[in-house]
Amino acid sequence: MARMRMKRVKARPVRRYALLVALVALFAILLAQTSPRLRAWIDPARTVAADQLASSARPGLWDQITGKAARDARIRELEAEVRELTRYRSVAISMAARLEAYEDMLNIMGEPPVRGVTARITSETNGPFREAILVNAGSLQGVEQGAYAENEGGLVGRVVQLGERSSRVLLVTDFNSRVPVMGEASGMRAILFGDRDDLGTLTDLPERGSFIVGERVLTSGEGGVFPRGIVVGEVVERGNDLRVDFGMTRGRGGFVRLMPSMKIPAPEEFPAEEEATPEAGDEQAAGPQTETASSSPEAAPSSNPGGG
Amino acid sequence: MAARKSGGRFSAISGIWEETGPTSRFLIGTLIIAAIGLIGLTPKTLFGTQLVWPYATFVAAIGWGRSGLGFRPMAVLALFGFAQDVSAYAPLGCFGFINLAAYGGSALVARAFDRDRAPLITTIAPVLLYAIAFLLVWMFASFSGNHIVQVAPLLNVFVVTYILHILIAPVFDLGRRVGPLAGNMS
Repeated sequence: MARMRMKRVKARPVRRYALLVALVALFAILLAQTSPRLRAWIDPARTVAADQLASSARPGLWDQITGKAARDARIRELEAEVRELTRYRSVAISMAARLEAYEDMLNIMGEPPVRGVTARITSETNGPFREAILVNAGSLQGVEQGAYAENEGGLVGRVVQLGERSSRVLLVTDFNSRVPVMGEASGMRAILFGDRDDLGTLTDLPERGSFIVGERVLTSGEGGVFPRGIVVGEVVERGNDLRVDFGMTRGRGGFVRLMPSMKIPAPEEFPAEEEATPEAGDEQAAGPQTETASSSPEAAPSSNPGGG
Repeated sequence: MAARKSGGRFSAISGIWEETGPTSRFLIGTLIIAAIGLIGLTPKTLFGTQLVWPYATFVAAIGWGRSGLGFRPMAVLALFGFAQDVSAYAPLGCFGFINLAAYGGSALVARAFDRDRAPLITTIAPVLLYAIAFLLVWMFASFSGNHIVQVAPLLNVFVVTYILHILIAPVFDLGRRVGPLAGNMS
């Protein structure tokens, strides 16, 4: 009994001394870090350790289970995108100002003001027969027959059924959809339709030349349904064929913007009035040589060359 | 009936825990702290208050300290301290020092008082030890940052840590009983 008690008494001081030594050692480490030279040695190792152990970019298990990690990653991605877009916006503003100045100088007929209705997608039909969506805006909200729909990714489709409060939009990914397109860089023209594998197929290609892989595909404006220059997708290579990866699949916000189709009236519908007065004729003859469109934007519906 | 069933289950778990040795209890405690901190099994905030890794180890330090001094807890607390320093961007050695100070303080209280007969000590001692630990955190943070850091966030985590202590402190009881040496010395 006495031996055991002696053992306990002897053992405890050793642990006590160990605790004291550990405390002193740790305090010494703390003090040592006040030296800038020592700090310069410690900091790189510390940074590496912090990256491995406590980096905010490394989500915890709980965050992964609850989906917070994925949401955070998405937020970071979107923030990066916003930063990038902000940069582009400032460039676009300056370019728009310059373009406006050029248009004023050349007296070019401008684009008509953009009108449109933003609608929510209420249901989707992605069946084997037809790919269409139903949106909650119709003629009462100002949607017109033949309007086209776009989202943040690009062209979505066109209105094929118009109701008072809803519209059905046939997607460009549908097999029955036919969109006249052109390559942004190559300028090649073709007709695009949807296919079973969610990629678009180009048909009626010209005999010479080809689309360039990676270039954007825009609407060409031929056919009179879609105006020229709306992004449809991007050219990708699958096997030996050039296909189109639709841009609309990247925009999954659940909303589309319904824009009126570009209707250009035939010249005979609005014939120009012949003015017989000699004064008016003289004035017209003395008009500016660079004038390419004689009327103001309000006077003519549109002069979009590719809008037909 | 259900209450009796659940009570029986609880007593069974309690019985198993009673039979668990100090080493197993120590390993379980270590794993819990590692789980809270490194894997991040707990939510990061509780009612708007951050339940962060650096302070969960204080619960272990004070819990293990009640069973007296030991080399293994000391080593683990020092190691966890370095991890805490890295995760909390504190100077290296800061949390190790605080952990060991809390551990030593807890062991000192356990040795100085007969806790089984003085429940007041059992209640007040952890509060005092946490207060000392957080005071040390505040001091080190202030010295390290060259300015007086805010006290309110530390008070919040002090409360959260004490709630955590109430919930999980029994897990950090290693099962050894220390106290004033028995017998009459006179």
